[in-house]
Amino acid sequence: MNGTRTDATPRLRRAAAVVGVGHTDWVGDWKRARAGEKPADSYGYAMRAFEEALRDSGLKREDIDGLIAGPTTAYERLGEVLAINPRWGDQADAVLSVVQAAMAIESGLAEVVAIVYGNDQRTAGTQYGGPQAMGGDAFLSYVYHSPWGLTSQGALYALTFQAYMHARGFTEAELGEVAVAQRGWSSMNPNAIMRQRITIEDYMASRYVCEPLHLFDYCLINDGGVALILMEAERAKKLCPHPVFVEGIGRSDLNRGATSLEPRLTEFYLSAQQQAAARSYAMAGVGPEDMDVLQVYDSFSVHVPLALEGYGYARIGEAGKFLRESRIGPGGKLPTNTSGGHLSETYMQGWAHQIECVRQLRGTCGERQVADCRHVHYTSDVAGKAVSVIYAR
Amino acid sequence: MNAETPQTPAPVMGLYDRPMWDSIRERKMRLQRGKVSGTWLYPPGPGTPGGEELEWTPISGNGTILSWVIFHRQYLPAYPAPYNVIAVRLDEGPTIISNLEGKTPEGNWIGRRVKLVYADMPDGAVLPRFTLAE
Repeated sequence: MNGTRTDATPRLRRAAAVVGVGHTDWVGDWKRARAGEKPADSYGYAMRAFEEALRDSGLKREDIDGLIAGPTTAYERLGEVLAINPRWGDQADAVLSVVQAAMAIESGLAEVVAIVYGNDQRTAGTQYGGPQAMGGDAFLSYVYHSPWGLTSQGALYALTFQAYMHARGFTEAELGEVAVAQRGWSSMNPNAIMRQRITIEDYMASRYVCEPLHLFDYCLINDGGVALILMEAERAKKLCPHPVFVEGIGRSDLNRGATSLEPRLTEFYLSAQQQAAARSYAMAGVGPEDMDVLQVYDSFSVHVPLALEGYGYARIGEAGKFLRESRIGPGGKLPTNTSGGHLSETYMQGWAHQIECVRQLRGTCGERQVADCRHVHYTSDVAGKAVSVIYAR
Repeated sequence: MNAETPQTPAPVMGLYDRPMWDSIRERKMRLQRGKVSGTWLYPPGPGTPGGEELEWTPISGNGTILSWVIFHRQYLPAYPAPYNVIAVRLDEGPTIISNLEGKTPEGNWIGRRVKLVYADMPDGAVLPRFTLAE
């Protein structure tokens, strides 16, 4: 069973710090892709992002002794393109790359780890719905129900949201607050692809893709890359003017019943999020009331109300009220997805969220900067695997 | 069947799926059930926790709608929009994803009782689907 220990990883607290971040020109590449051009492949985007992260860190290529490739590029080929022969390597998604980099650094297997992601999903025509749906090899639920016409990942969240609305008394208009708030943030972000503000009326008038989800509930599909460089904390304090520390980590997975969607439809990932929350809060010594910014993996807007309840920002059944009254947009009580997130900035599968965490803590977010930002909380619940990471200055 | 007949998306056909799909073609859907625990398995798999002996057992075909959606976008040739997908809690315990045929409820579908029917697809495939029970 899922253990109840919350103190399993205290050694990882402030063991590693992010010292460099980089990403590609999402807006420019979006325009080029729409004009029929192919600016780069996944490796090309990964390379551009890595070179920027390396410049940002002030380090030399030879300083990198650990490398993690994102899920869309082969590890060996990425290392070849980046010209890195590390002493430790791995492959992982965004948030687990951060976790595994911290683990490698704390254990001494590596001292400076580059985590690198590139994805040409737009220009390559990657399908997230249909019989060849991306991710079907890792998650049987993405393809198992295709004989009945259920294949898109959005539809899985539409089923989740329908049951969630019924269980909690939540409304479509309350979900619309998420897309409206994130567009409010992205309107202040020059790196965001979608910057035009929208209203609840715009949201309610937008077409359904898979009812009850509207077009504005879905992430963008665009090309790009993201890279971060993490370093052993004591060295980072000496070398880096603005290190951002990995302060707390928690994880809890719901695998039982996953293919028939049980954890989504009957408990909305709540128990996994609560356990990941407890572990990461205990490790960092903080709670939801201490967070200045929340970043939620938002392939669909539905992730946000689930996270508000699961991580203790709103009482169970009160996420709708929280979205209406406390608010998550500019000027709200809990600034959330301050870059615009997957819905409005760029769909980098959680990677760009890590950069936004770092930039808010560095204080370099310009117009959308949250004042005196000290703690930023990142959460993801992809397919019921809840992961919580707390960053701090 | 002619060349234009849209193909029903092929099921995932792992080692343990074939007996279930054979039983669906025979219109007597069976699932694996633990001989000791009585636990039902869906999707079909290598075993229940503990590794007891399993028995392919007919299901009652009765269940309750847990959730539903309406697709307004077409992803598959066999499924022009709009169409529905439902999640049904079988009385035996497992949850199965399917479609609701015939009359659909006004307003909220969650909690409505349904019963299993066997749908003949234009390409000859047979799918387990549901209709409202009352």
